[in-house]
Amino acid sequence: MHRHPPVSESAPAAVVVEDLHKRFGELEVLKGVSLTAREGDVITLIGSSGSGKSTLLRCINMLEIPDDGRVVIGGEAIALKKTRGGASVPADTRQVERIRTSLGMVFQSFNLWTHMTILQNVIEAPVHVLGVPKAEAVDRARMLLDKVGILAKADAYPVQLSGGQQQRAAIARALAMQPKVMLFDEPTSALDPELVGEVLRVIRQLADEGNTMILVTHEMGFAREVASKVVFLHQGRIEEEGSPDKVLTDPDSDRVRQFLSRHLSGAA
Amino acid sequence: MGTAMTVAVAVSAFAFGIVVGSLGASAKLSHSLALNVLADFYTTIVRGIPELLVIYLLFFGGSGVATSIAAAFGYDGRIDLDAFTIGVLAVGLISGAYSTEVIRGAVQSVPFGQIEAARACGMSRWLILRRVLVPQTLRFALPGLGNVWQLTLKDTALVSVTALAELMRVTHLAAGATRQPFLFYGTAAVLYLVLTTISTALFNRAEISANRGVRRA
Repeated sequence: MHRHPPVSESAPAAVVVEDLHKRFGELEVLKGVSLTAREGDVITLIGSSGSGKSTLLRCINMLEIPDDGRVVIGGEAIALKKTRGGASVPADTRQVERIRTSLGMVFQSFNLWTHMTILQNVIEAPVHVLGVPKAEAVDRARMLLDKVGILAKADAYPVQLSGGQQQRAAIARALAMQPKVMLFDEPTSALDPELVGEVLRVIRQLADEGNTMILVTHEMGFAREVASKVVFLHQGRIEEEGSPDKVLTDPDSDRVRQFLSRHLSGAA
Repeated sequence: MGTAMTVAVAVSAFAFGIVVGSLGASAKLSHSLALNVLADFYTTIVRGIPELLVIYLLFFGGSGVATSIAAAFGYDGRIDLDAFTIGVLAVGLISGAYSTEVIRGAVQSVPFGQIEAARACGMSRWLILRRVLVPQTLRFALPGLGNVWQLTLKDTALVSVTALAELMRVTHLAAGATRQPFLFYGTAAVLYLVLTTISTALFNRAEISANRGVRRA
């Protein structure tokens, strides 16, 4: 069976999260999470809903601002400060915007811009954020759309595409920024079962090409195949982490064991 | 001639109203309590009193207010606002109050994921506003703004009380002078209808173009 090769301990760190805390009102969703993704790592975050895995992913690109802890992207720590009311905010929005260009994000609900064609969606940020010449951006966008298998839909609007096609377009949009790390937030959870495969195929290809990725998913079989490391979250803490073979077949934690028996249902 | 003046007042007032409406909507959606209260105050007052009264208030008070504002900036001397400016300001303020509500609702209809996707790509606030929020808001706002435009166009008739030579005023004078009121008021009605019909068609077209990429069932 296909497996992700282990990533060397000496590979440079692409994403480092240190002692992250995040509260929504009274509810503490992350209670001190630390995580390192090295270049070439494919980390899958698993856990039951409410375990904090999506929040953790969203803290990495500051779509959620952590209350405490540090996020370091490519060696650069994101500067945060406290407002007088005690809320945590970015100290420098420019820095956050710049760092976000190196983090490609794929959402559960695709979030393609509905007023633009697929091609326009893909060239939007390269042209307007990075200042790539339009012709060059279009060439690259076509190449990426071809790669994810929807070049024929370049001039269609998102609403004219199936969910699987929309998600592949969203992946192309994220790749167009040539990010250092790709973040996937349950990329197949909103899809009809028969459309899941086509999206997973694209993600698997990206993993095979050595891209650094952090992926929140409920697809355990897939996690096992593509991941270099699996992290299991439970109530805002990391319950167990390690190689997919260890965590997904012979976990130390009983919680992980219970979770797997519910989610694998016989699949080895 | 009268018709041209009516269109000029209506277009200027509507445009002014959109600017006021955008500011009003931003104020209502802002996190600042003071701005919320200010915008609520504005829409409640303007929508709550008769349009004719707004025009009278501006006609009789506008120049005084403008003069004291100018004085605050060190200009001494009286500023007299002409009837056109007063008409545009008055109808624009009324139009702006309704536009505020339309635009506020439209902004709130834009799914948050659209904004989040833009933030995730590293777009600045200004870029998100320009490239994502405004085009998407427009799509939701156009039907409502079409309505506001029609109201604005008809409200210009009230400006005739300031003796501005717009369609209604000219008609009134002509009807009096020729003693053929029905003929002249009837003609005016037809002219207003022509204007509103043309503008409805234009708004429909704009809606179709703004709805590119939305359901085409």
